[in-house]
Amino acid sequence: MTPRKPLLEALVAMLTPADVLVSCLGANARYLPHLAVPVPAFALCDSMGAAIPLALGIALQRPDRHVVALEGDGSLLMSPNVLATVAAARPGNLTALLWVNGHYESSGGQALPSAPVDWVALAKGLGIGHVERVDDVATLRAAFPRARAAGEPALLVVDVVFDPNEPIPPYSERPDEIRARFRIA
Amino acid sequence: MSGARRIVAGLEAAGVTLAASVPDTWIGRLMETVRGSTKIRAVDAAREEEAVAIACGANLAGGRGAVLIQNAGLFNCGGVLAGLVELYRIPCFFVVSYRGDRRDPVYYHAPKGRVTEPTLSAWRLPFARADRAADLAAQVVRGVESAVESRGPFVLLISGEDLE
Repeated sequence: MTPRKPLLEALVAMLTPADVLVSCLGANARYLPHLAVPVPAFALCDSMGAAIPLALGIALQRPDRHVVALEGDGSLLMSPNVLATVAAARPGNLTALLWVNGHYESSGGQALPSAPVDWVALAKGLGIGHVERVDDVATLRAAFPRARAAGEPALLVVDVVFDPNEPIPPYSERPDEIRARFRIA
Repeated sequence: MSGARRIVAGLEAAGVTLAASVPDTWIGRLMETVRGSTKIRAVDAAREEEAVAIACGANLAGGRGAVLIQNAGLFNCGGVLAGLVELYRIPCFFVVSYRGDRRDPVYYHAPKGRVTEPTLSAWRLPFARADRAADLAAQVVRGVESAVESRGPFVLLISGEDLE
């Protein structure tokens, strides 16, 4: 497993002008303002589980863009049903990255229920056709282009290290600022 | 023209591009009419919170999303209403089946009916009850425009007889 930040940096470096980024709350949203993201980005600071359906709405409205959603395992464990919704809608322009660290990082680092969830099997079982596991920067760099080119909804299950001492920056943008800046040309 | 068709005509006239839904008996009938629209993308969601976020995504991307759900489903949506719709000030128009009010013949919906309007009021959700004797399409247009202008939610409550 790899720490979160190098994975996030590698992902941001692969984004193209045709992409749109939607982030769940927590560490991903808190890092993004510091990473010079080159595409429209909408970051949540609340509302666990909303990132993937929000991205789905954007993807359906704008089929000319590829929408990349970042979601955490704690959030998706609350609402795995969204994968079936995505599978039914079948947008060819949606890639979700599921960051798996087994903890509710944004709320104090509590452990998730200790069930050994098989995210790859769960996603496939709910109808997501393109699912890959990623555990380091090299596999992310290989898997993300495949996911984006899959022509169907894709999910990358990204195993990341949970480090309670990781110096995650605080939220630096307010929701009204994020909302005002989010424009898809 | 049926009430369902008039409601969908209102959605079309208001520029709604996407309708995300979890059906009940009444909303399911309405969604069948939505599926006949060439202007509105029907999206079947597994749970109501998703439908809200999907509609918000359409709105953020330059379209107009609407949410069609039962009142029990609306009760599931407190978190996403507060943490997404209200926090980020995203327009979100709802058509909600008002199960359990005096017009609903099904006894087991009654508890939901009793708490629907108190919940809407407690959550400070602007709402109206559809009036089938008046222009239903215009009521839908006003609701969508209210959501857009306020950059927030608006709920139109409908009954089964409004679809006839």
